[in-house]
Amino acid sequence: MMLHRLIAAIFFIALMLVSVTTINAQSVRPPGNAVNQSTDEQIGTSNTLGPDSQSKYWHDLRQGKSGLSTTGRSGGLLIQAQGEQWRLIRKNYIIKYSGWVLAAVLVILVLFFLIRGKIRLKGGRSGQTISRFSLPHRTAHWFMASIFIMLGLSGLILLLGRTALAPLIGKNVYSIFASAAMQGHNLFGPLFIVALVWMYYLFVPGNFFKMVDLKWILKGGGLIGGHASAGHYNFGEKVWFWAVAIVGLLISITGIILEFPWLSANLQLLQISTIVHAIGAVGLIAFALGHIYIGTIGMEGALDSMTTGDVDVNWAKEHHDLWYEEVTGEKSATHDQGETGHAQVYSQDKITGV
Amino acid sequence: MSFLQIVEGPLFYIAAAIFLIGAIWRVIGIIKIGHKRDLAPPKGSGKVGFVAGNLRHFLPRKIFAKRTWVHIIAGYSFHFGLFALLLFAAPHIDFARDRILGFDWPALPRWGFIIAAQFAFAGLIMLWVRRFSDPVMRLISDWDDHIGSWLTFLVMLTGCLALQESHNALKAIHMLFVDVWLIYFPFSRLMHAGTFFLSRGYTGATYGRKGMTL
Ligand code: HEM
Repeated sequence: MMLHRLIAAIFFIALMLVSVTTINAQSVRPPGNAVNQSTDEQIGTSNTLGPDSQSKYWHDLRQGKSGLSTTGRSGGLLIQAQGEQWRLIRKNYIIKYSGWVLAAVLVILVLFFLIRGKIRLKGGRSGQTISRFSLPHRTAHWFMASIFIMLGLSGLILLLGRTALAPLIGKNVYSIFASAAMQGHNLFGPLFIVALVWMYYLFVPGNFFKMVDLKWILKGGGLIGGHASAGHYNFGEKVWFWAVAIVGLLISITGIILEFPWLSANLQLLQISTIVHAIGAVGLIAFALGHIYIGTIGMEGALDSMTTGDVDVNWAKEHHDLWYEEVTGEKSATHDQGETGHAQVYSQDKITGV
Repeated sequence: MSFLQIVEGPLFYIAAAIFLIGAIWRVIGIIKIGHKRDLAPPKGSGKVGFVAGNLRHFLPRKIFAKRTWVHIIAGYSFHFGLFALLLFAAPHIDFARDRILGFDWPALPRWGFIIAAQFAFAGLIMLWVRRFSDPVMRLISDWDDHIGSWLTFLVMLTGCLALQESHNALKAIHMLFVDVWLIYFPFSRLMHAGTFFLSRGYTGATYGRKGMTL
């Protein structure tokens, strides 16, 4: 019975294949520009962008086609004196140093891991958990993280690719990477703004600085001077939040200027935007590397809050004692002298057994 | 034959055939199971219940609305975005005309295509995030769910990366994922696209016969 079905299926597939390919053989039309192209480029459907195609635009430009510089783009100005200055700043500072900054951050994180190791829970896991982030908080966070990672990767290909990738993979292959990165970056960019607004709205309560943050700084976050008390978020997290919010806003504004250049005919504004956009993005990526490190392999029990939404009670007591006290009404043994739990409750606040 | 020619030609037709035959086969299989005869005298119409069950599920229940609004918005955003870009993006219409149907229809302007893709991406990412961060969803999700989400994501992502329409390599990678997606579809929960109306209808019809309002 099974065999019959299999044979029938194969027969059907073969039949469809033959019929469809014969129909298709008659219906394929040659692309409009078939004359000038190699056989490889003639296959498949034609480019649907027509004269708006970026590759066509640049092709015409390189061929010296006249009239292009007066198409209204950037006020009809194709060459401008500050352009050289901008090119040098980009080449000699931004591209040169951003690679080094990111490499240095990676080296520091590896060294920190080798020397300090994973920050373990002193009391081990208790088996009891406490709710830390609601589902909308987690969804907003991972939505932002996904978009950020895609923008970060595509952005770095665009910024550093010509220097770092092209010599390795060749100019032709790099042009494919660059085209893909450019399109991906443009499409995901506006989604970053959506993620930023959503995340800001959900995470801003609890991220304002308080006196307790000063004590946290003086104790180096617990690295020097013993345990450092913290509310729902510690000082480091608050700085991260505001970095994302403020630098994110800058990247968003400059990103809009760059993605829709016809909004402004001012070439200088575009040049400044590329510089601000790149510096901001590289800074945020460097910070994000540290954030990802501490959220994953750097600290035992930290990732739980963003996956299940609940953290171990011991983790809460050790890292966010004031928040723990506020939520449960209990005193934690790690509590600093003179501190009271005045953090507000920002997520569902019941303790659940595992 | 170049790689692009293979993935747009023979491999595409094989994949499309597996997709069509497999999907039809599964729907017929489900319909053939039928349902147990209800011996109790009907208090309402099963047929009306079938339609009502299908329509009612498009709206959230009031008591759950507050808890489910994120994934309801995400679900609509993803599915509407996907349908819009699948059916009305200029390159897709060209492909359908040249390779399958022989005729075309009006396309979305380019900005419409991009916005549809942005809605689809935003929705899909949020739905996938919910799959691993909601404890209940995590418990009931298995590999098939994740493979389905990732394959769909990769089809969309490779399509988005090929938006410049200037490199055959990018188009070929997109088409390769389309082919794999088509082949995977009938054997997976992606098949819900062709079976959801049956399950919603079945429940609706059962309730309908019992005279329950949905
Ligand atoms: C895949 C990489 C990432 C991982 C593993 C990760 C992990 C985490 C974890 C575990 C927390 C909760 C910390 C706590 O319980 O206090 C958190 C919070 C947070 N994350 Fe991420 N994250 C990632 C990427 C990102 C990215 C790319 C951004 C933004 C661009 C981001 C922004 C935030 C913010 C703003 C918070 C809230 C804490 C605060 O207010 O400072 N994360 N992340």
